[in-house]
Amino acid sequence: MTEARASVLRADGATAVRAAVKNLYIYAVLLLIVLAFSVARLDQVELFGPGHFLSPDSVVNMLRIAAPILTLSGAFTLLMISGYIDLSVGSAMSLAAVVFAFLVRAGAPLPLALPLTLLLGLGFGLLNGLLVMRLRITPVIATLVTLNLFKGAALLVVPKGLSAIKGVPGRPMPAWINDYARAEVILGLPWAFWVAVLLVGVLVVVQRRTVLGKYAAAIGGNRTAAELSGIDPVRWVWILYLLVGVCAALAGVARASYMSLGDPLSGDGMELDCIIAVLLGGTAFSGGEGSVAKTVVGALIIVCVTTGLMTVIPAFWQTFAKGTVLIAAVALNHLLVRERTPL
Amino acid sequence: MDRPDNVLEIRGLVKDYASVRAVNEVSFDVRRNTVHCLVGENGAGKSTLIKILTGAVGRSGGRILLNGREYAPRSPREARQRGISTLFQELNVVDQLTVAENLSLGREDTTLGFLRRTDKVQRMVGVMNSLEPSIDPRQRVSTLSVAQKQIVEIAKAVAAESEILIMDEPTAAISEGEIARLFAIVKRLRERNVTVIYISHRLDEIFELGDAVTVMRDGRHVATRPLAEVKDRAELIRMMLGKAVFEGYQARPAGSREVVLQVKGLSNRKLQDVSFEVRRGEIVGFYGLVGAGKTELARAIYGADPHRGEVLFQGVPLPRRPDQVIEAGIALVPEERRSQGLFTILTVRGNVPVMNMARISRHGFIRAGEERRATREAIRRLRIACSGPEKEAAKLSGGNQQKVVFAKCLFADAQLLLLDEPTRGIDVGAKSEIYAIIRRLAEEGKSILVFSSELPEILSLCDRIHLLYDGAIKGTLENGAGVDSQEVMHVVTGGR
Amino acid sequence: MDTAAVDQGSVQVGPAAGRLSNESFITFFMIAVLIGLFGMACAFVPNFFLPRNVLNLLTNYWYIIILGIGVTFLLVTGNFDMSVGGNVALTGVVAAWACQAAAASPNPLAVGLGLPYGVAVALALCCAVGVGAVNAFFIVRLRVPSIIVTLGTMMLSRGLAQVITRGAQRNTSLPEVFGVIGNTFLPGTPVKVAVLIMVALVAVASVVEKATVSGRRTYLIGANAEAARLSGLKVGQHVARLYLLSGLLAGITGILLSSEFKAGVSGRASGYEFDALVITLLGGVSISGGFGSVLGMFVGAIILSVVTSAATGLLLSPDWQFTLKGVVTFLAILAQRFALDRRNG
Repeated sequence: MTEARASVLRADGATAVRAAVKNLYIYAVLLLIVLAFSVARLDQVELFGPGHFLSPDSVVNMLRIAAPILTLSGAFTLLMISGYIDLSVGSAMSLAAVVFAFLVRAGAPLPLALPLTLLLGLGFGLLNGLLVMRLRITPVIATLVTLNLFKGAALLVVPKGLSAIKGVPGRPMPAWINDYARAEVILGLPWAFWVAVLLVGVLVVVQRRTVLGKYAAAIGGNRTAAELSGIDPVRWVWILYLLVGVCAALAGVARASYMSLGDPLSGDGMELDCIIAVLLGGTAFSGGEGSVAKTVVGALIIVCVTTGLMTVIPAFWQTFAKGTVLIAAVALNHLLVRERTPL
Repeated sequence: MDRPDNVLEIRGLVKDYASVRAVNEVSFDVRRNTVHCLVGENGAGKSTLIKILTGAVGRSGGRILLNGREYAPRSPREARQRGISTLFQELNVVDQLTVAENLSLGREDTTLGFLRRTDKVQRMVGVMNSLEPSIDPRQRVSTLSVAQKQIVEIAKAVAAESEILIMDEPTAAISEGEIARLFAIVKRLRERNVTVIYISHRLDEIFELGDAVTVMRDGRHVATRPLAEVKDRAELIRMMLGKAVFEGYQARPAGSREVVLQVKGLSNRKLQDVSFEVRRGEIVGFYGLVGAGKTELARAIYGADPHRGEVLFQGVPLPRRPDQVIEAGIALVPEERRSQGLFTILTVRGNVPVMNMARISRHGFIRAGEERRATREAIRRLRIACSGPEKEAAKLSGGNQQKVVFAKCLFADAQLLLLDEPTRGIDVGAKSEIYAIIRRLAEEGKSILVFSSELPEILSLCDRIHLLYDGAIKGTLENGAGVDSQEVMHVVTGGR
Repeated sequence: MDTAAVDQGSVQVGPAAGRLSNESFITFFMIAVLIGLFGMACAFVPNFFLPRNVLNLLTNYWYIIILGIGVTFLLVTGNFDMSVGGNVALTGVVAAWACQAAAASPNPLAVGLGLPYGVAVALALCCAVGVGAVNAFFIVRLRVPSIIVTLGTMMLSRGLAQVITRGAQRNTSLPEVFGVIGNTFLPGTPVKVAVLIMVALVAVASVVEKATVSGRRTYLIGANAEAARLSGLKVGQHVARLYLLSGLLAGITGILLSSEFKAGVSGRASGYEFDALVITLLGGVSISGGFGSVLGMFVGAIILSVVTSAATGLLLSPDWQFTLKGVVTFLAILAQRFALDRRNG
């Protein structure tokens, strides 16, 4: 009896350490990366001075660039917690960017262009939800289909001869389009960033304190138990797809605003960034577990790595670096996210 | 409100599957706030009855009255809403949520989607506390033991004001100390206006826990009595077995054939120090009820699950991987035909040669003619009723599907067969055919191990029978005229 | 605890045409679809039915088809391989780099390892198989979902290609022999050797799939992995081998393409993994496992070819490709489901 008790206590102690590591490792990783880039070129630039990784300009720039993925991280995490995935977010984002740029250039003011674009995002979610939940097509295949549909749509909106919806002679792009993603509002950071922060805050609360967050975990963790308790997966996961769609649209607005144009290829690869962020943040592949907050940290890690690497290595190393980060994230996730039931 | 004394009234309940009547005009009452036990052998109809009560299947005839009102749930969810909760062996808790979150799952109080920690939730936690104060409601369920998770499910049902809680063999997976704790909780449920329907084959538990007992046999209702009126185990066993005449066992000349399989001290999470021997041409039975460890033993020998201890086949230690075990000459007919034994979307021809492709191929190329011929041969030999080798396995009847699985194993030139519940869910005619096949194989010199929870089957087939209970062999007997089925039942239901 | 219901004694006899397996049915179904689409295209697109055009239809996706072989086998077992596109690029780049002249030059992209062509090809193929090995490790050993792993190796391989070519390509100081295999035609025909290789590989794959033990294993695993395990199949090992095969096929494609363009281009094969998946799905391969064929995939490729060519013939911009692929895949999935449901009652 005593031995059993002792082993349970040992397990408790070990479990506590494991839990602590699981929760904190990602902050450690972020810290390490920031430190690494901060000391990287100290021989050439001054600490916090111009050109340094942590100089005010650099930090502001990074956070501005981070706006789209921060916007997407929360919703994407919730969807993955429920056990589902959306690979179309990149193309959805591009399509939204194109449409937004189109509307703005056509003269629509922000209070009109923005809601319309978000409505489009709702449409993205509606379509994905329909394919996955109603027609019961495997999420990977369904969202690859919609990936193609959105990408095609984005390319078609852009008239022939142009690479993007941008200002042309006779039809200039209003200058204010830049404001959302670049104009300094608070602490030198633009609306796009603060809206993303707000969104993240809201979704952290959603995950921890609302029915949507709880049911996402229940559906991902034990679907049968959830159904027996009266939870309808079709309804709740569809809501999550809608949420992801709207966030993708918002991210697209941020991207269009940042670049002052609507590029139908601007969102390419965003789904991969989201996956990396979610993996780093410790979301389990099978669902049930995950954390919006930690995914956001994962997103910051990605931004730091990509921008930081740009100062250290030539641009053509980017894809390889990202691939390495993904594989590393997979390995890390595998080591840390594994349920160990006692006894 | 005037509520009837009987929370549940079952009248003439019938359930037919195409060729079998699984539940045959069953009628009995369950009194409110009692622990009502349900016993019967496998195949007695208990599980089908439970499936009807839980809304998993529909009935073919008869009525059920819940609190005097018609009860005919179309889904498990509806059953739960009507107040009947079930504790299955597959736990229905969400590991990743906390205890409190599980308790309130689906019944939260919300404002605009926000979860509120209201009185309602507090009450649910209070229920949990009163049942088992040592469980911290803020704990993640994944950190709990199986027994604790069961208690959480019970608390959830109670908190949801379920009137009836069905518990299906709950003690199979928990330790003795935990069983005691569970029983204390179950007894208190009566005071909380919960009626428990308790299914178990562990008769000691029935006597300890129950207020009333219903015995079923062969799909029929045998008796429902207050436990105070049941004298002892023996009486219950008599009711469970009835005057069943078991299909004649034909004694086969014993002879001193060589030992082919030696198992010594086989142990793993479920099994405890199992040891036995098997001779060539013998049919050895392992009889036990749910949770006795039959499948675990079969799988351990087969190398599908890890184990400690020695297993020697023809004097040589048996490898611990199915592919090598097959090569050594042992084949397994798994418990679940459709999900483990067959490739249902393939044809008969696609299924039969799987365990020994070398026989129908040369240099890695399948010889189609050989394949077809071999399949036809198997069909003929085992009398598989199908239109030919090209018939989809999914479209065959249960009995014929099982014959295909047999054919698969025989094709591997197995010298020893492990049969796990070989005729479960198969109609009587096909059962006889399969028994004939088994006997013929034994005559040909193959050794057969039958793992079954159907006593008639064991008694009609096996030369020697090991009785399993709780992962250990509790008794062994030679088959023959002197077998006392009462005594057998006594052992496998936990008697000493 | 499982107590199965007593099975029905009656046997459901299918229609007399039940001699045709579901798989063959779907293949014929898709052929019918192909013919229908072809007919429609001939009606609306000028010159669609000319022999020259028909030949193009059959051959212009040869590289996707080769990739599709590996993707088909893997999808039958329920796994994805999205790394093939990046792998193709990587192989081409490594092959080019390996046999570029080693002589120093002011342009770093003109300097290579100076190895003989044969060695360069072998090295490149080893890399290709290596990518497959990485996939196999994470998917089989660590049990990570294949979609995530192969998206990662897609980035790794393409990224590596970009590193070796500094984001551009390597096309200088290559030996003459480099451009041979990709640019050789069957005498007197416009058919490239690469196409022949594709046909040969498809033929071999079909034979393997239908007539070999190894091919049969793929279907058994896809149909019911647990039953396969209990029947003695080494499931993990087999799936690992399929990933190696897929890598090898990507490598072959990479060699052929880089030879055709006499360059190792880091941007090569962009999107090929999606196209390979599309033709596999068009061909009737189901992700629920155990169902589908290489021939079906081939038919799927021709369907895609007809659709995209018709679009070009109708003067639709190439941007229409994505929408078309999405719509066609979606319709195919639904149509196949519908057809099978109707057939099996």
